[in-house]
Amino acid sequence: MASWEYRNASRSRWVIGTAVAFALLCLAVSLLGLRSLRELGLSGVGPASAALINLGILLPALMGLLLGGNALVAAREQGVLPMIAVQPVSRSSLVLGPFLGVSAALAASVLLGFGAAAVVLSGVARRSDVLPLTALVGSTLAVAVTCVAVGLGVSAVSRSRLQATSTAITLWFLLALGMDLVLAAAAPALRMGPTGLLVAVVCNPLEAGRVLALLGSTPDGTALGPFGAYLVESFGSDGAAAILVCSLLLWTVAPLLLARRVLSRGDL
Amino acid sequence: MSDQPAVRITNVSKRYGRRAPTLLDINLVVEAGTIVTLAGSNGSGKSTLLRCVAGLARFTGAIEVRGRDVGTDDAFRGDVGYLPQSVMFPSQSTVDETLAFFAQLRGTGDVVLPLADGFLPPRSALVGTLSGGQRQRLAMAIALLGNPAVLLLDEPVSNLDESGRESVWTMLRELKVAGVTALIASPSPADLAGIGDRTVMLHDGRVVDDRGKVAS
Repeated sequence: MASWEYRNASRSRWVIGTAVAFALLCLAVSLLGLRSLRELGLSGVGPASAALINLGILLPALMGLLLGGNALVAAREQGVLPMIAVQPVSRSSLVLGPFLGVSAALAASVLLGFGAAAVVLSGVARRSDVLPLTALVGSTLAVAVTCVAVGLGVSAVSRSRLQATSTAITLWFLLALGMDLVLAAAAPALRMGPTGLLVAVVCNPLEAGRVLALLGSTPDGTALGPFGAYLVESFGSDGAAAILVCSLLLWTVAPLLLARRVLSRGDL
Repeated sequence: MSDQPAVRITNVSKRYGRRAPTLLDINLVVEAGTIVTLAGSNGSGKSTLLRCVAGLARFTGAIEVRGRDVGTDDAFRGDVGYLPQSVMFPSQSTVDETLAFFAQLRGTGDVVLPLADGFLPPRSALVGTLSGGQRQRLAMAIALLGNPAVLLLDEPVSNLDESGRESVWTMLRELKVAGVTALIASPSPADLAGIGDRTVMLHDGRVVDDRGKVAS
């Protein structure tokens, strides 16, 4: 079932279009990063890598939410989900199939985009850049897959594609921008310490992915300022990464369980 | 097992939210090898009843397919072939890929269908290029995969032209001879004249007439 979903997702014009757009954006960001490197007389891939982190976290997350968000509800509206559900397959397969298939298609899009960036950056990358860039790709893939799962949870409870799409976009705005804005206002007012900030990061899969990518680029946490220093000092670099990975895992498993529950107990 | 009815529906009711019940206290026993037409106007509950029997909608009461409880025994799905009122398969897949996928889910391996030559659109055609009638034929073929003992067909000829309709009726006659049971929702039961053994008329979610019922 996963391979069926993968094949259909990877042939979708929407997926192909967004994959190409992501690749072009990665190329543009890399080229702009290289230009600024030359102007500043720096070496390595620093600025390009920083821009790729934001691009890599935000765009695949949106794609994941939208693809996952439409997966079940569209199949239900089109009559395909009932035809699949009436076959002798488990209800878990109805969720895991789209999850694995859509995740694989999205992962291919992400790798295509980063592959394009890698071609541009390969000329200036140093050996020490490999680990941060690998962490960036890994974090992006993790966030993308997590967002597919969240999207599937949205899809399972949505009554129409329009509702699923608007919920997915709203969720993306909240996770990408809204929570940061709220935190920026609330943190000083509530005197949130580093622990409060850590909780806020763990509660936001996009932020968890971003911090994970930054920890990969600077394991001592310096790229994250005082918060990063607190994180590394309190839990160690590996411990902090483990917390963030657990957060992403939880954000992946919980919506999948929700979707399975809805499909098992509700009407299809 | 042979004395068991193909489908037994006992006190089945279905309500969507707080709206008036879509089905109310339905009782039906369908003997194996019979073709039952579910007739009634739009909104009478025909499709919902089929969806309940297919295990796609929750309900109160009990439904058994060949002795298996639809609510608790998932194994009943191996006995059921279901055709929804309308279906739109992924447009970038070919007819062959779509059939192979469902055959795999069904666990039948090869795609062997009791269909006349020419019933299906070309196997290499993309689903997105098919007409409504051709898509309907593909969906019908999928419902028949694995030779299910009970067919649940929701307006199976609604999108078909005259030759398509005749193909479906011919196929149903042959399946009936082979002992297949079918529940067919149709707004115009006259279409099934000569094929259906029994017509169950629904109105506002209730059975209001049951013609041709075999005395038990």
